[in-house]
Formats: sequence, C-alpha cells, structure tokens
Amino acid sequence: MELELKNVSKEFSGVHAVNHVSFSMKKGVYGLLGVNGAGKTTLMRMLCTLIRPTGGEILWNGKNILGLGADYRNILGYLPQDFGYYPDLSIYDYMMYIASIKGIRQGAARKRTKQLLGQVGLAKYEKRKMKTLSGGMARRVGIAQAMLNNPQILVLDEPTAGLDPNERIRFRNLISELSEDRLVLLSTHIVSDVEFIANQIMLMKNGRFFYAGTTEDLVSSMEESVWHCTVPKQSVNDFVGKYLVDNVKTVPGGAELRILSKVPPTKQAVREEATLEDAFLLYFGEKAGDKDDTEI
Amino acid sequence: MILKYELKKVFSKKMNRIVLIAALLAAVALSVFAIGSVRYVGEDGAGHTGLTASRHLAADRNRWKGGLTGDKIAQVVSSEKEIRLQYPDDVPNEIYGKTLQSYNDIENFVIGVLTPDTVWDTGVLYQLEDEQAKNLYSIYEKNLQEMAGKYGETPEQQRFLTEQYEKTELPLTYEAKDSWDTIVMYVETYAMILAIVIGFLAAGIFAEEFRSRADAVYFSSRYGRTNAAKNKVMAGLLMTTIVYWAGMGIMSLVSLGVMGISGVSTPYQIYQPYSIYAMTYGQYYLLAVLCGYIASLLAASVTMLIAAKMRSANVAVCVPFFLFCVMPFIGRALSAFLTFFKLTPDMLLNVIECAKNPNIFQIGNYVFRQIPCIMLLYFVISIILLPFVYRSYHRYGLKK
Repeated sequence: MELELKNVSKEFSGVHAVNHVSFSMKKGVYGLLGVNGAGKTTLMRMLCTLIRPTGGEILWNGKNILGLGADYRNILGYLPQDFGYYPDLSIYDYMMYIASIKGIRQGAARKRTKQLLGQVGLAKYEKRKMKTLSGGMARRVGIAQAMLNNPQILVLDEPTAGLDPNERIRFRNLISELSEDRLVLLSTHIVSDVEFIANQIMLMKNGRFFYAGTTEDLVSSMEESVWHCTVPKQSVNDFVGKYLVDNVKTVPGGAELRILSKVPPTKQAVREEATLEDAFLLYFGEKAGDKDDTEI
Repeated sequence: MILKYELKKVFSKKMNRIVLIAALLAAVALSVFAIGSVRYVGEDGAGHTGLTASRHLAADRNRWKGGLTGDKIAQVVSSEKEIRLQYPDDVPNEIYGKTLQSYNDIENFVIGVLTPDTVWDTGVLYQLEDEQAKNLYSIYEKNLQEMAGKYGETPEQQRFLTEQYEKTELPLTYEAKDSWDTIVMYVETYAMILAIVIGFLAAGIFAEEFRSRADAVYFSSRYGRTNAAKNKVMAGLLMTTIVYWAGMGIMSLVSLGVMGISGVSTPYQIYQPYSIYAMTYGQYYLLAVLCGYIASLLAASVTMLIAAKMRSANVAVCVPFFLFCVMPFIGRALSAFLTFFKLTPDMLLNVIECAKNPNIFQIGNYVFRQIPCIMLLYFVISIILLPFVYRSYHRYGLKK
C-alpha cells in the first residue's frame, strides 16, 4: 500500500497552487498542515482525481491513479472541505445513493449504512432530511459516506472546519478510530486536529512541502524556545512587534505572554515545553487559524 | 439502485414537487377548459356547455354515422338549401339544434371539397345541384389530382402527393369527432407546458451536484464518471417518459372520459379534405401526443447537455421556453426563412397547422412530409445529444 506523489504540480492561470511536490505515503495518519491558500485542497482534489495535475504524477502501488480510474476510486473515501449533499434526501437515502455510486450492492449498502450511522451517532436520525442537519451532524454524515466502501485511502479535507470544540473532539476521536489499517490524509489549518492522532505531519506553504516528519521531530527541530513571561499591559505591543507571540492573556497588573524566541525575552521569563502549535507559529509566522484567506 | 436513487433525487426536491403539482393542476384545468369549450344546442334552441354537452352533441351528430355516401351528402345539401330558403338571414336556434347542428361537419366537408386552396365560401353549397352532390366524390377525386399537380413543384413531388392522396379511402366514413378535435388543441398546449416542466426537471439532474456542491464526493466515487453518469441520462429519459405520459394520460383520460371517444375512426379528411395525411382522428390525436413526447425528449436532452456543460441549470431551463414559445414568433418575424422555420422544434407542438398544410420537402429524388421529418429529426437529435451529456460528466475536471 503506497501512495506516491512524483513531482506533482498544479497551475491555475500562471499561479502554482501545488509546486513540484514529491512524497510517499503508506499506512497511517498523515496530517497536512498549512495556512489557508497553501495548496492543501488542490493537492487533495488531485489525489481524489477531481483535477488533473499540470505536471508530475500520482501513483498508487506504482500505477498512475488517472489510469486506474474507477479501480482507484473504488479504494478511495473523500470528505471534501466544502462538503455538499442533496438537501432533500434523508440521511439514509443519501447514504444509499452514495453507496450505489460507489458500486456497493443494495443489501451490503443497507448493512454498512446502518453500521456507519451508528458509529457516527446518527442512527436515530436516519430519516431526517439532510437540509435539517447541523454543521456537525452533516460533517458526521460526510465521514460516514467516505467510509462506506471501507476505503484503503481516506482523504479528509478540513474535516473539523466550522465545528464547535465538542464536535471537534468527537470528530478527532472518530477519525482516530477509523484510521486502522488504512492511509488517512487529513488536511487542516487547526493544529490540535492532528497533533495527537497523526503519525506524520507535512507542513505546506506556497504549494510546497517544506517539512515532513513526526510531531516530536518537528518540535525538537525548532531552534527557538518557548518562553512564558508576564509584562506590563502597555508594553504588550512592543513584545508582539519584536517576538513571535503565541498567546496573550490579560491578568491583573499586566499580561501573560507565550513567546517563541532563541533568547529569553525578559529576565523573569520561564522556559516551557514546545508544542506543534508553537512549531506552526514559527514556520507560518502567524497563529494557527487566525488568517482567513481564500483557499486555493 | 443508482437509477432508483437518481429518480428519488429528482422527485424529492421541493421545487420539483411544486412544479409537478402545477403541471398536474394544469392537466386538470385544461381538461376542464376542453370539456367546457364544447357547445351543444338542444332542439329547443337552448345552448348547453358542461359535462354532458359533448356527449349530447356526439349523439346528435351520430345520426349521420356510417359511410358518407353520395346520397347522404345530397340529403344534407338539399336540407341545407331548404332551410336557407326559409331563413335567408339567420337560422333560428331551434332549427339549428334540430337539424343543422347534426350535419354541420358534413356540410363543412362539402364546402372544403369544393373550395380547394381557395377562400372558404359557404355559397358553393347552394350552387351545388342534387346530382353534383351525389357525385361529390368524383369532384373530390378530380380536385385531389389537381392539387397534387399544384402543390408538387417537381414530378417527384407530384407523384408523392398523388400517392398520399390515394391512401384516402372513399367514400369516407363519418362519426362525430368533436371530442378529438377539441382534445388535440389542448394536447398541443399541454405538451408545451410539459416540455418546459420536463426541461426544468432534467436540467436539475445534471446541475444538482454543482448546485449543492456535492460534485467532489460524486466524482471521486467509483462510478461517478461512468455508470452513475449513464444512470443520470437514463433517469432523465425515464423521468421524461413518466412525467409526460402521466400528465398527458391524466389530461386525456379526464377529457375523453367526459367527452367520449366518438369519432376515433373518422378520417381526418372530413375536416381537411386536401390534407396529405391520410389518418383517422384517433391517429391524429396519437400523432399530436407523440410529437409532444418527442418535444419533451428534446427539451430533456438539450437541457441536460447545457446543464452538464455549464454546471448550472439557470440557462438550461430557459432553452425549452425559447425553443417552443419564442421560436414561433421569430419564425413569423423572419418570413424570408419560411422553409427553415417549417422544420424548427416548435413545429412539433403545432401539429394542427402542420397536418392542414401540404408542406413537403425534397432531397434528390426523395420526397418527405413535414411531420414525419420533424419527428425523426428531433428524435434522432435527442438521442445523439445523450452521449455528449455523458461525456461532459465522464471527463469532468480531467481535461488536459
């Protein structure tokens, strides 16, 4: 089981959304991190055969996925970032329709639909129309439809976008549960989504992977340290301008700052353990999820 | 299973349901109009419309039912002359109800035979001698030959027209055909409504994925580009067939159920003696219904193609309206292109005019009539477009 990107590029009107990416993925959870506009969605759409790469090729077990066609899509499950559905169908009918276009026989589709809806906690809502579902419920249907064909490759594009913290945690656990024996590629710009469940992290910026490895390796590769200090309120802006500030918390008599720096920002600064979010801030130069660019 | 759920997608959409209910209401409304448009005058001279008018009218006219022999024609002409002598200005309603109404169709047939390709002149009836009336079919046959020569511009066309005219069996048979006359008129109106409705529904089949942003899941599924796309095309055709025949069936059942089916075997020539379509009123009705079905198929194919190409139903849903409602006005405005506009899709919904007029075309030695030509042409176009519809879904996003 190997999904290989060989020098893959995608160009839109002269702009490289994905720029000569080469990478190989096997079984496990891969977290694709990047700010909005980094090229994550474009890469995922190419992996799902929705768009053709301008250059390079994507291979599944050594064969071009576009050549494999339906055989490749048969082992693929995809939850797009902008998950759309047929609003007038019930959850059950929606699942059955997707099962039918995935080539699952009716009997098996019924069984699998019941099982998956149970797994995502929607069994009792199966008769409800899709248009009446909350964002979180719709996303759960999204993951269920992606799992219908028990895919070897599960591609999840920003699966937690728009979910509240509870839904996000539930979703993360669900993905972790479903990731056994398959390749899961999960893109996000929310670090906590992948921090604990991804075996491998890929950082993507301007259409390129500039880091790939484990969370621990990524964090330990940082030259900067994480510092915690309390400063007067009026000097917060000076610190924000001078350092990469991860967090600002107002407290009586000042503000507590979490700062990334090679040297202690104040004499009283205390060193803290670095996290993936700190690495994200360091490499992307902004706090995760703050920027809201249009996704490419 | 794909087809079942594809159809479910079509019929579960709220807007589609509203449109279908509107189409159903239109069927009922048009049936009511059709039934209400038949007027019967009783022997007391009182006019009646409504549920029983059509059957009473048929019963009255069917006094003349059977072979329309020369003697019967002479009897009608003689009766008409007598009444007109008595009432030169205006025939009282009682007399109309007792006598004239019953043979009105036969009277019109005689005038039609005697005024080929000229202005409708009721006066010819009164100039007709008793013997001439008995031999009306000889005049008719002679005129048919003349018309073949007049309408045919080449020897091939003249031969073709002669062959068509020879298909009319003489003497004609008569049975009151008012219900068929009426229903064909409403079939054309309703077929236009259905073509627009079907175009609207069909456009949604190929635009829904994009409208609801479900395209990513659809096209990344195993059969999204192959079997599922084929099933969408199938669903379009099946939906067209179901909606059209259900709608038309309801309208026909209600209308004919009330008005009756008297005249199903009456030759169309009773109404248009020089028509080049030798058919009965039943066949005339079927022809109009079938042309309407082909118009709906065309509407479905064209809108599916445009929706699939444009990834939106907005433009696609307007196309049937343009083809069937706007085109006739353009045709009238651009009279210089008369031949072209005799072959445009709107003609499928204008069988009444097409059947009346001797429109023929010739390619080489082959001569053909307008109605079979447009039926074949647009049926073939409807089918030919389907692989292109499939192809635009099959290759979605993968063009180099």
